[in-house]
Amino acid sequence: MALLKPAQSRLFLTPLTGFLMLFLGFPALVNLVYSVSSVSFETLRNPQITGFGNYALVLADGEFWRSVSFSGRFALVTALAECLIGLFLALFLAPLLRAHSVLMAPLMLPLMVAPAMIGLMYRLVLHEFAGPVPYYLFLWLGDSPAFLSVENAFTALAVVEILQWTPFAFLLFYMAYSGISPDIREAAALDGAPWYRVLLWIDLPLMRPTLAIAFFIRFIDGFRVFDNVYALTGSGAGGSTTSLSIYIYQAFFKQGAIGKAVAASVLLFLASLAVLTLINLMAGTRRRA
Amino acid sequence: MIKTLRWIVFLLAALAMNFPVIVTLVTSFKTARELASNPGLWIQSPTLANYATVLGKTDRFNIYAYLLNSTSAALIGTLVALAIAFPAAYAIARSAIGRRVLLPVVINLRAMPLVIFAIPLYMMYQWLGLLDTRLGLGLILAIVNIPLALVILVNAIGEVPIELDEAASVDGASAARIMLSVVLPVVRPAVTTCFIFGFITAWNEFLFGLMLTTSRAVPMTVGSSFFFAASGGGVQWGAASAVMILGALPPALLGLIMYRQISASMTAGAVKG
Repeated sequence: MALLKPAQSRLFLTPLTGFLMLFLGFPALVNLVYSVSSVSFETLRNPQITGFGNYALVLADGEFWRSVSFSGRFALVTALAECLIGLFLALFLAPLLRAHSVLMAPLMLPLMVAPAMIGLMYRLVLHEFAGPVPYYLFLWLGDSPAFLSVENAFTALAVVEILQWTPFAFLLFYMAYSGISPDIREAAALDGAPWYRVLLWIDLPLMRPTLAIAFFIRFIDGFRVFDNVYALTGSGAGGSTTSLSIYIYQAFFKQGAIGKAVAASVLLFLASLAVLTLINLMAGTRRRA
Repeated sequence: MIKTLRWIVFLLAALAMNFPVIVTLVTSFKTARELASNPGLWIQSPTLANYATVLGKTDRFNIYAYLLNSTSAALIGTLVALAIAFPAAYAIARSAIGRRVLLPVVINLRAMPLVIFAIPLYMMYQWLGLLDTRLGLGLILAIVNIPLALVILVNAIGEVPIELDEAASVDGASAARIMLSVVLPVVRPAVTTCFIFGFITAWNEFLFGLMLTTSRAVPMTVGSSFFFAASGGGVQWGAASAVMILGALPPALLGLIMYRQISASMTAGAVKG
């Protein structure tokens, strides 16, 4: 195992640690300092440390809490739907995919397209004059909702996200399902167990780690959503589709409120850290169990 | 019976999930006149005029510049990530160092919202003169790519029998030499997968492209959205569709050719991480 001397190992690890320090460690430090400073674009190089005013500003900002609530609801709804639909597709289509593995390709295609590009494409798909969805709804039902209005934008964005990322959950579940030895299932079938019992007592318990991981990955990705929301609705009518990432982006680039943007970044950092620690602890207990 | 049902579910799922791409592809072959009267999914008189418009250079919209920016930034982002992650993966796989702290930290980075670091990086880039450069964007894309590359490479190198290293070591080869001429050729498939996957991820990135570039280094994802904004209320849907298809094509083609390797590595990255 220990073919490399410790000094050599460290040397090989130096580019990685150096790069991470420069591009993530240093920025994290800047975030911390600037979040407790009074700073503007004019005094960018010499921030004055003033205490926790920026945090107070953010925490008292209704827009901030609205964006947290948007991101939280968005993450929960999309992660749940993606995992449920993905699980159904993985189990139901497994015999078909085993026989024709090339059918995987169209199901994976959405993962290859940039989320920002998908967002732009839906501007066309949902457009009231040029879009096929309103066109067919008018043709068949005589009416079509305004998909990107304040009332409907959340649902529309969630569906967009779900349709693009269900393939990710599906893929993980299909791989996990294919990895289960057929002997176990055959033995259960020989004992006369009906398919739903095999599913409930064999397949799902064996897939549990993958189910949990897929849910967490999709939850985190949903929480930090930016690209497709920004490309499709921006912050939306009256800020109704401002995700936390969009909030930070706008505070910095549109309002020039550096302190506020940086303080919100630190809060997001702490929240992510808490969630990740929790996941790692859970994974640790599982490994020991 | 159930087999027919499976086919139906498959077709419905494939149609629903690829619907925006299908619509955009269809629209990109319609004439301006047809677009005004027929938003449906069939084409009456297919045309390549939209592609001709888009591929003809104009001062306001130069698609070649965007494609070139995306290509070079994605290449930098992929090659730098590999060059940094490979030696680190070798060290982690062949010694105990880095396994306890560095590897888990880097894996968890995959789940960190990188927008957190965006503002300090913007200020840092302003100071270093890296704003609106392909190099600057490429280096950030390397950060995005490093976590998955490291996981895939550590797993791949871990499966190479250590006897290979030992034999080369007995012959007097240095550690760097062993890494490059003994281990690297064996794990070439994993390196290729990292490269393809990294290129797709980098090409599709949007947030940092939006924040860190303004004109000279704008990538395709951001450039396409300019096309919508610039034409204001009256978007030319045919040309816009052609732009989106051309922008989505490189990663989609790569992905479709390599979908087997990608599905395996995506699973590895998620499950081991």
